Amino acid sequence: MNALTLDRALGSGRVQLVNIRRESLARARQRLLLVAAFFMFVAFVALVRLVFVGADAGAATGTPLAQALLPARGEITDRNGVPLARAFPAYSLWFNPDAMGEGQSPLVDTPVRVAARLHAIFPDLDEERLRAQLAAGRAGYLRRRILPEDANRVHDLGEIALETPREMDRHYPQGTLAAHVLGYVGADGHGRLGMEQVLDARLRDPARRATPVPLSIDMRVQGALEDELERGMKLVAAQGAAGIVLDVDTGEVLALASMPEFNPNRLDAVGAQLMFNRVTNQVYELGSTFKPLTIAAAIDAGVVRDFGARWDATPVRVGRFTINDSHPLGSTLNIPQMLMHSSNTVTARVADELGPARLRQTMIDLGMNQRPAIELPARGYPIWPGDNWPRLQNMTIGFGHGVAVTPLHLASAYAAMVNGGIWRPATMHKLAPGEVPQGRRVFKESTSSRMRQLLRMTSRFGTGRNADAPGYRVGGKTGSAEKPGAGGYQRSAIVSTFAAAFPMDRPRYVVIAMLDEPRGTVASSYQRTAAWNAAPIVGRLVPRIGPILGVRPDETRDVDISDLVPLVPEAQR
Amino acid sequence: MNRIVPEPISRQPWSLFVPLLLLVLFGAAVLHSAAGGSMTPYASSHLVRFGVFVLVALALSFMTRRFVRLVAYPAYVAVLLLLVVVEAMGAIGGGSQRWINIGPLVLQPSELMKAAIVVVLARFFETLPVGMVNTWRALVPPLVMIGLPVMLVLTQPDLGTALAILFGGGLVMFFAGLPLRWFVGAGAAGALVVPLAFFFLLQDYQQRRITTLFDPGADPLGAGYHITQSKIAIGSGGWFGKGFGNGTQSHLNYLPEPHTDFVFATMAEEWGLAGGLFVLLMYLLILRWGFAVALSSEDRLGRLIAAGAVATIFFYIAVNLLMVMGFAPVVGIPLPFLSHGGSALLTVMICIGLLLMVHRWNTRVSPRGLS
Repeated sequence: MNALTLDRALGSGRVQLVNIRRESLARARQRLLLVAAFFMFVAFVALVRLVFVGADAGAATGTPLAQALLPARGEITDRNGVPLARAFPAYSLWFNPDAMGEGQSPLVDTPVRVAARLHAIFPDLDEERLRAQLAAGRAGYLRRRILPEDANRVHDLGEIALETPREMDRHYPQGTLAAHVLGYVGADGHGRLGMEQVLDARLRDPARRATPVPLSIDMRVQGALEDELERGMKLVAAQGAAGIVLDVDTGEVLALASMPEFNPNRLDAVGAQLMFNRVTNQVYELGSTFKPLTIAAAIDAGVVRDFGARWDATPVRVGRFTINDSHPLGSTLNIPQMLMHSSNTVTARVADELGPARLRQTMIDLGMNQRPAIELPARGYPIWPGDNWPRLQNMTIGFGHGVAVTPLHLASAYAAMVNGGIWRPATMHKLAPGEVPQGRRVFKESTSSRMRQLLRMTSRFGTGRNADAPGYRVGGKTGSAEKPGAGGYQRSAIVSTFAAAFPMDRPRYVVIAMLDEPRGTVASSYQRTAAWNAAPIVGRLVPRIGPILGVRPDETRDVDISDLVPLVPEAQR
Repeated sequence: MNRIVPEPISRQPWSLFVPLLLLVLFGAAVLHSAAGGSMTPYASSHLVRFGVFVLVALALSFMTRRFVRLVAYPAYVAVLLLLVVVEAMGAIGGGSQRWINIGPLVLQPSELMKAAIVVVLARFFETLPVGMVNTWRALVPPLVMIGLPVMLVLTQPDLGTALAILFGGGLVMFFAGLPLRWFVGAGAAGALVVPLAFFFLLQDYQQRRITTLFDPGADPLGAGYHITQSKIAIGSGGWFGKGFGNGTQSHLNYLPEPHTDFVFATMAEEWGLAGGLFVLLMYLLILRWGFAVALSSEDRLGRLIAAGAVATIFFYIAVNLLMVMGFAPVVGIPLPFLSHGGSALLTVMICIGLLLMVHRWNTRVSPRGLS
């Protein structure tokens, strides 16, 4: 096109065509720029996104290592850091019929052959039931726990519907040890029964579960306690046994066992029946082990001042009831003799002279009217006789009948009696030196030191001789109480207890051993009383745990009982 | 003009060649790292292919207008026939097939179609009288020309390539000056049809690909895996990257396809934001040159070919980058000049060849016009 043609075409339709052409050229140019602008916009978006993602480095880097190593549930250790409960990843075998898509056949192969192959890997599985479940296409566990190498073999079967999800297990590496203290973790992931329940929130808290929780338990002491309790229990064919080792100055529980134990790694119906904690949940009339408490209250109140004074030991008649001793002990006894021979009659008279108000107040001060002071969730409520004690009841409570408490109540009371008179709540937590509770004073310091002498006398010359481990200065008191049943006390069923502390010259630990319904066997010389079954347990246990707890056997040291020995003819022999 | 550089060299389009060469060399370095620090199997073949395809592009650039006008329709028909042949071979072989083996050469006709559709539409609109662009004559034949190959490619099935053909052809129609309201109408119809198709036509897994786009965190180990890993790779590079050969996402096989579709993520992990900006800048320079060629073209054929070729190259870049950055669904579209892969590089280099050809027409015309 040139100027000549343009001139010639003036006024004709050709001009319009040229205009259109020019217009279309301009439009094409305009559209090209429009698209270029769109391109620039996309490039800009990409640029912004690139800067955004690039500058956001670290936000998308997945799970940090610290979090990957964070256990699903915090660890529990003993006071020295030995693991008692830990998180343990495990595999399970799950049948997911929808894995191949809904409405599809769940298995590649026939259920019969898949069941046969699974049976080859897990010979203990019931092949018939496997086949039925696979054929029915029901989702569910085929097996709750499988080994990693078996998970690989299942994977090699090539069946997508056979899934091996990883699940977090709770593993108790010490087996049955301290099972009642620890408890277990239920299928819902929450702790049950023991410290697992108490610490549940703490163990699940992502911020705090990285650090293990130390308990007051010493694994070595716990092991020794359980070992001796089990041995003693089997020797006399007892129904059960309970034991505690308690730090008298802090209230820390170093060992706590209820026998027979359950296995928290393997929860079954048998184990479920054994989960009852005899130490903190079952209340017993603990019998003669209460006598030292009564005497301590009487010394504290000034009722007992002279240890040479003779007390009437003939049967006590109150109304139509008569209080007897198990065998006649002579017409009079002094206080050391009364404890050594465990005289009901003298204790009843001391309690009578002390009066119900003061004995009751001492019992309340020792926490006998409340659930035991400890963190464990299963705590039994004592059978407490109420506010008004008749004269007879006051007497029987003096020698441990008519009030039923847990063995832990007794341990805390004994700790207060020998540690200088301060009662402190028991605890399952390891306490730092500054965290020890102040406690409350129940007995005078002087009363406490008298009680050390008296308890030592009892285990040296009296019913507790079987507990007197050489060099460990054990002091303690036996207790054998008939169990109440339908229609009065049962002569055949007794609870025998030995409550002790050592070393008596500077008490550090209280040890309680209790047997539920022991029988007379060869091992106990056909006796059923605590002197023959519970006391030997303490006698064997103390030499095992003493060196671990820093108490060395020393024949040259002992609490000074030289002022009491001349008063007791039996001690001169 | 300075005469230190001889005129035959200085008149070459260096504003294209320099960025192109830098990009390809950078791509070879990234592929070297993606192969675990080895030239084989990716980097060396990448360079060899580029060398061969540059020759192809240069050869294409010597085509004259007359020749293009002559072969546009026959070439289109030939490629269309090849598509049919591929389809037939697939049907006989029992399965889908996208390529034809010719001795050592593996030919993917759908890739050739991307260039062919641009040329044939440009030729069509060149012959269409300008007064008729807003009649049905301007609409129906191009739609048929685009629709036939798109249908054939869709049955392969290859959604990515079909969209590329649609995009290239559609943009040529747009540049040709068809009324804007048609495009707006088509866009509105698309906006209406897409949601319907999403819910009624797409399979479950295809739907998931798209929903994943909006929330890749919902299933980071399943459907969202590619995007999540790719974003981790890009993000973990930071400003200057982990260093050449130090990418963990690619070397430890977290990244899917570290040498083809997700090569940008591989690059960004090792070179960081700086590497990403460099690549974007190179693309910008190449596309800007292409637009300049299209704008400076005085005739309809040249302008439409150039614009269509730029659009096709752009389509690759945009879709791949948006996919890698988590803005577009994962469709197998490689990144031009960086990804390892022959067919895509051939298509892009044919487009470069077409651009060079139009550039040559433009520069030839003006001296002749003066003489």
